[in-house]
Amino acid sequence: MQAKAASTGWYMEQWRRWAPLAVLAALCVLVSLFNPNFLTVGNFVRLLNSAAIPVVLCMGATFIILMGSIDLSVEGVVAMTAVVASLLVANDITSYSIGLAAAPVAILIGGAMGFLNGFVHVRLKTPSFMTTLGIGFAGLGIATAVLGGLTVRIADPVFRSLSLGRFLGIPMAVWIALAAFLVALTIQQRTRIGRWIYAIGTDEVTARHAGIPVDRTRILAFVLAGLFYGLGGVLAAAQFGQGHALISQGRLFTTITAVVVGGTALSGGVGSVVNSVIGVFIVVVLANGMVLMGIEPYVQQGVQGLLIIAAVSLALDRSSLAVVK
Amino acid sequence: MKAQIQTYLPVIFLAVLVLLVGAYDPTFFSINNFLQVTADTMTLFLMAAGVTFVIMIGGIDLSIQAVASMASCILAAYLARLGILAIPLAVLGGAIAGLAGAIVSTKLRIPSFIATLAVSGVVLSAGYWFSDTRSINIPPDLSARYLSWAVGETLGIPHELWVGFIVMILLSILLQLTPFGRLIRGIGAQEQAVIASGINVDRIKLAAYTLSGALAALAGVVMAARLGSGSPTLANEFLLPAIASIIVGGTAITGGVGSVWRTFVGALIVQVVRIGMTFMGVSVFAQQIVFGFILVAAVAVTMDRSKLLVVK
Repeated sequence: MQAKAASTGWYMEQWRRWAPLAVLAALCVLVSLFNPNFLTVGNFVRLLNSAAIPVVLCMGATFIILMGSIDLSVEGVVAMTAVVASLLVANDITSYSIGLAAAPVAILIGGAMGFLNGFVHVRLKTPSFMTTLGIGFAGLGIATAVLGGLTVRIADPVFRSLSLGRFLGIPMAVWIALAAFLVALTIQQRTRIGRWIYAIGTDEVTARHAGIPVDRTRILAFVLAGLFYGLGGVLAAAQFGQGHALISQGRLFTTITAVVVGGTALSGGVGSVVNSVIGVFIVVVLANGMVLMGIEPYVQQGVQGLLIIAAVSLALDRSSLAVVK
Repeated sequence: MKAQIQTYLPVIFLAVLVLLVGAYDPTFFSINNFLQVTADTMTLFLMAAGVTFVIMIGGIDLSIQAVASMASCILAAYLARLGILAIPLAVLGGAIAGLAGAIVSTKLRIPSFIATLAVSGVVLSAGYWFSDTRSINIPPDLSARYLSWAVGETLGIPHELWVGFIVMILLSILLQLTPFGRLIRGIGAQEQAVIASGINVDRIKLAAYTLSGALAALAGVVMAARLGSGSPTLANEFLLPAIASIIVGGTAITGGVGSVWRTFVGALIVQVVRIGMTFMGVSVFAQQIVFGFILVAAVAVTMDRSKLLVVK
């Protein structure tokens, strides 16, 4: 009896581990059946390129979701850092032209917004979804207010090459996303912060009793997330060659969908940045497939919404939840 | 005494704000201006009024702005063909969206903020589909025939105000005087106790979210009537002020405590703060920054921390 229960648990665990990858593979097969153009090198590079910014954003969001919290400030921070970066490089509004140095500045500003999120959430003890909702909207407001509703155009080809330049035939954005992934993976696997984030997500009370500095870890995780969003903002500005608040539209949705579809549980403690990369590819392949099939682009958010619901309901270990708010 | 002051703190806050703005610009003090300001606040109040029920049970509805936009599209797209029936159709669409969020949240046991966020993606797509991705104008003759109940004046009082008052009275009765309202407050205060007493909590929750969707849709209809068009992005930028209205009014995010008149006062506070900032020359864009921080501050002040062992 016990052996049977244990083996069902084992199967469940294997299923949870491999399901996202299986979904991705099935999706690829399905799309290529509909449209053979899917399996071309050109389309593959296009897929990688459209996955780059979501991967960077997901690296940050994964740490937050692993703690069982949520970060709804993605769009606000991305918009704000994209606008800051575009105003600091050669552009048609300000006279600054600090070139590539704009990237670290924008990333640090992202980190500062993350710190604000974490600090308010931990010190004022406000739920993370409310805190990040408010601060995220503030970020969007800053992005719009700085420009007064205008759009700033970037006139710095070197900065733009951060996204558009190519190395070995693959856009720079993809290499940067790869680097971001490796950094996130190292943090997750090789540092105490990574371990602590899992511990907090699994059982915060026990983690606290075990002497883990929970508050500091939480704040640091939000700072990390902000730094990744800042990098995402820089890449977005470099890719589109302009900065405005709308540059981040829809990114929160894609980010959360990807993290959740990848198999990271919203309840915390289960998942990894590797899952999130798989999740990003599920979302990107699906979007790409819909374009190839000629489905209207506005349908995508609806499909992503359904994906979130499906993924969360499959992944969540609901036996542990007595009350769902 | 302290509890008394805390109960009426939002009202006092509103009065102080009105005095401040009035001191800055004396023309603010006129019956007509007060009526106009309150009428302008009613779409915000309608959007927030339904969500109040959801927040009272300790949940949240992040789909309201997508729902209001979709409702405006349904109204504008079908007004010519269906006439007055387009209005209940739009409200029904909102109610279905609210119900969908509730079913996802309660039956699949998904936290409400993620369930309603996911549903809002679907609703947004639906809005684009109904409107064919455009903004649809409502011809003035149709508007005069079917939507005059939402714009215009009777007895010197703007119609938006009548709609808002009627909704406030009906919802207040529902929340304060009916078994349904008592259960809403019970679920917010101590859900497990309500479950233990044998009440079908899920049904009450479904009703609360459906109400929230229907009222967001009604807000979308009134918005479309005022602007003379429907569009899939009509109610963008309304989510934050709507939630801020509820929290600033003194309804706690942790559930159990709150009322509809609080949301009414909260919406007025948001509106007067907005007017005040405009007087002081704060740009419309920058106002969102202030609202973001007001929201966080109000959540911090009103929430009941004894209810949460761990704040996620």
